Amino acid sequence: MQKLIISNTPHIKSKSSTKRIMIDVLIALVPATVMGVVYFGLYALLLVALSILSCIASEVIYLLIRGEKFKDILNKFDFTSAVTGLLLGLNLPANCPWYIPLLGGVFAVIVVKMLFGGTGKNFVNPAIAARVFLLISFAEAMTTWAVPSVGAIKTSTVATGATALGSVIKGERVISNLDLFLGTGVSSGALGETCKIALIVGYVYLLIRKVVDYKPLIYIGVTGLMTVVLQGSFSAFLPSVLSGGLMLGAIFMATDYVTTPNTTVGNIVYFVALGLLTALLRHLKGTEVVSYCILLMNFFVPLIDRFIVPKPFGYQKPKKEAKNG
Amino acid sequence: MISEKRATFPGGVHVPDNKYLAEKKPIEIMPAPEKVYVSLSQHIGKPSEATVSVGDRVKKGQLIGKEAGFISANVYSGVSGTVTEIKTISTPLNTATYVVIQNDGLEEEEFLPPIDKEDSQAIMQRVRDAGLVGLGGAGFPTYVKMATDEKIDVVLINGAECEPYLTCDHRMMLEHGDGVVKGAKYIAKALNCQTVIIGIEENKPDAIEKLGAYDGVKVVPLKKKYPQGSEKQLIYACTKRAVQPGKLPASKGVCVFNVQTAFQVYEAVEFNRPLYQRVMTVTGKGIKEPKNLLVRNGTPYAEIIAYCGGLTDNAAKVIAGGPMMGKILTSVDGYTRKTDSGLLVEDVTEVCITEPSPCINCGRCAKACPMHLMPMYIDLYTQTGNFERADSYGATNCFECGTCAYVCPAKRDLVGSVQLCKRKLRELRS
Ligand code: SF4
Ligand code: SF4
Repeated sequence: MQKLIISNTPHIKSKSSTKRIMIDVLIALVPATVMGVVYFGLYALLLVALSILSCIASEVIYLLIRGEKFKDILNKFDFTSAVTGLLLGLNLPANCPWYIPLLGGVFAVIVVKMLFGGTGKNFVNPAIAARVFLLISFAEAMTTWAVPSVGAIKTSTVATGATALGSVIKGERVISNLDLFLGTGVSSGALGETCKIALIVGYVYLLIRKVVDYKPLIYIGVTGLMTVVLQGSFSAFLPSVLSGGLMLGAIFMATDYVTTPNTTVGNIVYFVALGLLTALLRHLKGTEVVSYCILLMNFFVPLIDRFIVPKPFGYQKPKKEAKNG
Repeated sequence: MISEKRATFPGGVHVPDNKYLAEKKPIEIMPAPEKVYVSLSQHIGKPSEATVSVGDRVKKGQLIGKEAGFISANVYSGVSGTVTEIKTISTPLNTATYVVIQNDGLEEEEFLPPIDKEDSQAIMQRVRDAGLVGLGGAGFPTYVKMATDEKIDVVLINGAECEPYLTCDHRMMLEHGDGVVKGAKYIAKALNCQTVIIGIEENKPDAIEKLGAYDGVKVVPLKKKYPQGSEKQLIYACTKRAVQPGKLPASKGVCVFNVQTAFQVYEAVEFNRPLYQRVMTVTGKGIKEPKNLLVRNGTPYAEIIAYCGGLTDNAAKVIAGGPMMGKILTSVDGYTRKTDSGLLVEDVTEVCITEPSPCINCGRCAKACPMHLMPMYIDLYTQTGNFERADSYGATNCFECGTCAYVCPAKRDLVGSVQLCKRKLRELRS
């Protein structure tokens, strides 16, 4: 017999692990990535790869500089930076310069994550923060959207500054819902967000793996309904739900564990607020705002968690005691 | 009577139960060991006082430790023989005074005097005299639980056995269902209570059917979910009454007893047998032949393991009790107590040795916590030394069921943090 292991209760643990969850997210993003490459060409793949590499390298180099041993870093590696990298990559225009994902990755991992203490300590989503950072720093490159076309990239047909969303919001229905759903036609956008069916496949996978639950639907649904209210027309529902980065944002970025509230009630508040905010800002600004909205709501998460604390089981307000007792 | 609906409580988690290892094994009587080491402190409350001296001859069922104060319990010898030593022994579980008795193998008996089985006062006194404590693991003196001023209108028998691996209560209900039901009725009589409910998890359909056939008890099938058998969760599932934090079940008119406690009440009332033995499950993949054993109080763990074929080569962890709330043993030098419902030996495939990593705020622990606490913040603030803040997230309401730590993907030692926080709070507030 070997030496007995001494540890605290419980003596059995579930199979879930941070690593496993992150790998599940990566798997769930594969369809979207593949469709991005199909629509926008191999250059899109290069962008995604650079983004992932940059994120992972940033984390490893940061930890090496902090004096950690390479072996320990490998053991501890939990794939969160790979997820950040992939998400960032999928949020880029398919024809942006190659150095954009590199810079974005460094910013996401070093500034947003590691400087705040690493996994679990960042209070905004690194991929989103990096995207917003890039949008501000490289406004033009970041808003020049390629139009998807199966095969090679057609830089000649780019529609500067306007995603499909712009026209949808203004009520000019130039793109059919089916095109929006499949990401075909002229529905331009970030390389991972155009093909909605790929995102939905990923969502179903995450549902099965119990990594996320129904809550992204709250975000998507509320955005759609709020748009209906703002535009006064029910036909606005599908286009608003299917366009822009809403689905990618709602399923994969707004749900990031670290930057969502820790309670069920808190989460519902958070996702409803996100939906309202997104619809409202889209209406007012006429451009895509999902990233900004998520970033903004991330700041409110600590507040939500501070004020929405569940009452312990069996708790009663002291006054009611006599009646119910 | 079997109630139609499956009952449960909010929160909790599905844990693979691994009961197949021992659930088909009928209860086996383990031969009494050469020597028993009976602790005088195997219940919550004051240790009892030895009533025998070295050299005394004792019989099976004879008092060897007398209760010392209101919250305490009598201790009886499980063998006949001679007291060879009375000394302080440190085991991996505690340090206490032990009475060591050399078994002479004659099995001479000396039980309690008969009582009037219709007299509720007499039953009450018998429960006290027989040294009964909660056999589910808590070890709270049964008599003290019953001596409440509140009006009890439901006697709830806990047959949930939600701890994975353990099967002794299941076997008890199957093989001694009659005694369990009769014992429950004696308890109800002592408390002047009309309703007896037995809650059983649905992974024991045979037990549900068996006990459901008796008159005068209502069996409630419970959803299989951990911690279904914890007192407050069980009460909620069976009666929809929610006991307030910090209050006793009696405040809602309910008293909960483990099935083995009920059985021992029956033994004490009908056969005058005090509590000196119990059924425990010896199981896990680290043990060669898992068994359900009737063991005398004070049997060395090492002998039990040997009786079950010994440890396998891969045995890695020994636990007194079940895997969720059982106490870790640093060695097998210990002796059975009234509260030992199991001896679990996990092998290398069952233990989890992943190092804790940073919390990713996934919220799974809070979602699963049956007490609706926020374990991630209890952990965070305890680790940063802010114990009062940790308590604002419920540290003192935690009963250390381990559900949160079970689900945590970061494998954080959440129960350890709660324990530390409680200890520090006690120091701060005293
Ligand atoms: S151990 Fe405590 S905090 Fe964790 S789930 Fe159980 S009651 Fe909740
Ligand atoms: S389950 Fe673990 S990782 Fe998730 S919030 Fe709780 S402590 Fe953090």
